[in-house]
Amino acid sequence: MTRITIDPITRLEGHGKIEIFLDEEGDVENTYFQIPELRGFERFCVGRPVEEMPLLTNRICGVCPEAHHMAAAKAGDAVYGVDPPSAAKKLRELLYMGFFFTDHTTHFYALGGPDFVMGPDAPVAERNILGVIHKVGLEIAGQVLQARKYGHTVVEMLGGRKVHPCTSIPGGVTKGLTEEEREKIEGMGEWAVGFAQFSLDLFGDIVLGNQEYVDLILGDIYSDRTHYIGLVDENNKVNFYDGKVSVVDPDGKRLGKYAPDEYTDWIAEHVEPWTYLKFPYLKKVGWKGFVDGNDSGVYMATPLSRLNAADGMATPLAQAAYEKFYETLGGKPVHQRLAIHWARLIELLYSAERWMELVTDPEITSPNIHTVPTKVPTEGVGIVEAPRGTLTHHYWTDERGILTKVNLVVGTTNNYAPITMSIKKAASSLINKGTVVTEPILNMVEMAFRAYDPCFGCATHSLPGQMPLEVTIRDVDGEIVNVLRQFC
Amino acid sequence: MSSGSSVKEETIPAAGQQPKILIVGLGNPILGDDGIGWHVAEAVKKVLLVGGAENPAVEVACYSLGGLSLMERLIGFDQAILIDAVQTGSGKPGSLYDLTLNDLPDLSTGHLTAAHDTSLQTALKLGREMGASLPSEIIIVGIEAEKVYDFSETLSPEITASLPEAVNLVLKQLNKLLRRSSQSLTV
Repeated sequence: MTRITIDPITRLEGHGKIEIFLDEEGDVENTYFQIPELRGFERFCVGRPVEEMPLLTNRICGVCPEAHHMAAAKAGDAVYGVDPPSAAKKLRELLYMGFFFTDHTTHFYALGGPDFVMGPDAPVAERNILGVIHKVGLEIAGQVLQARKYGHTVVEMLGGRKVHPCTSIPGGVTKGLTEEEREKIEGMGEWAVGFAQFSLDLFGDIVLGNQEYVDLILGDIYSDRTHYIGLVDENNKVNFYDGKVSVVDPDGKRLGKYAPDEYTDWIAEHVEPWTYLKFPYLKKVGWKGFVDGNDSGVYMATPLSRLNAADGMATPLAQAAYEKFYETLGGKPVHQRLAIHWARLIELLYSAERWMELVTDPEITSPNIHTVPTKVPTEGVGIVEAPRGTLTHHYWTDERGILTKVNLVVGTTNNYAPITMSIKKAASSLINKGTVVTEPILNMVEMAFRAYDPCFGCATHSLPGQMPLEVTIRDVDGEIVNVLRQFC
Repeated sequence: MSSGSSVKEETIPAAGQQPKILIVGLGNPILGDDGIGWHVAEAVKKVLLVGGAENPAVEVACYSLGGLSLMERLIGFDQAILIDAVQTGSGKPGSLYDLTLNDLPDLSTGHLTAAHDTSLQTALKLGREMGASLPSEIIIVGIEAEKVYDFSETLSPEITASLPEAVNLVLKQLNKLLRRSSQSLTV
């Protein structure tokens, strides 16, 4: 293969890039997945009061501001060494369930669903949410929008705004819940549980009822034996808001659990010359390259990782779905990446059930929602599970609480190495000598990364509104033989 | 332009009457030129308040949203003006564009583009199929942006210089819509 050099200047072009390099035989030699990185956030934050971070960081990402809001609030608690009242933690978590419910719903119906409902090789014009709606019925579309509306309403009631919540501060929250609001959220939560069950049933009918899809999920194309991480509660059950990060190896054996302030003992970052983004890996296992197996420190942090890293779900219906998941897929852990879609729906059900648990907790309307910080601020780490993976915020301040340093490890960054490996494996499996590379084949390569739902520095919303992804195939001389970019 | 105000997200509800025209500043206010839509919308808001041209049929908002979420915010309005940064790759920074949704590529008819969301066009089709009351007309005022990958509350000088002209373009489009609206009301 000819030497590949990707000019750093071309690294940041405003879109994700998959480069597939072929060898002399026409087989896949290597692949590269590049994500544009938004620059200078740490510098931007230095000099600001730490209590501004829940407001500032929710502008990092246009998709999951609530996750950054929560991680920042928890890091703020840690910086001030303050433990929020129990009711404040429950209010934050309830807001977070509304967010997770909305996000997971949208991902399944708008993004993951089309491949399964319409099929990976369906015409491009039909392989979108409109195609899904036309196939499964307009009534379901109404429910999807209703689900989003309910989730948004919970976020607005508890977060103070329709989008970009502003109520979590170091020591607790600034807004409680009235009984009237609580009743509304409870009513919506009952509906949410039913909708999540319906979504799992729909997945069962459409995907598990189709042997072709089951084979696709279970096949080797979309599988890598990596480590997994995810936040768990004191009973080692999946938790999105609080707990310790559980780390399991490719055999499912727990290597340990780390508290937020121990993350640097566990996570290190590897640098590659072809991308500015770093590749986090498990420090105790070590970086061995883009390879899977027990000796490779590559780990994944996704809905599937959370299920693999935990001992179960903390709510009954989600636990039953969890058990069925592992029974169907041949035991734990599950390495098949397309199973992330199924895991996401189990989490959807958990978020709805947890929503109901929290909103019916007698303490949820308590006025005791803030503990005034009194200690001198220093340094702190906050960790939550974002929909796309474990999210870590680490802040350092001076004695006035003015930020001197910031470090963030976001969901997609965790998954950069496994996504890179998944793309290479899918491309190598699907593109061989003599293969006529068609759009459906490239879509199946793309499915390898789409299961992770990666973030492309999505804070940017300049029109036309999305960060495009480009797939380029080059021959042995580096000449472009095929490009797939947009459908326009 | 005050940088401090740009982190706020606010909506001005008009008193008395259900707003019919929504003016939206889009973008991320802490991501350099990507925040230009917010700056223009805030300036338009001031003109409407200070200039006595306040109209109960007009609402001004700033959002960092796209796709489905933006579509959901447009429900209930007859017309909308979206103000946003645009990167054509060929325009001079600060250049203004008077566009419609048809002028923009529908980037997520497939999957390659939208990592987390669908395009506004697809979202609008979905909303309309669902029977949602969505604007019959959506006008876009685009401003060619330069720096949208660096966190900053400051706009590039060329973008700042284009602000008054962008505000005028929005007001011109608003007047056009208001005239049309009043005509239809008389009918």
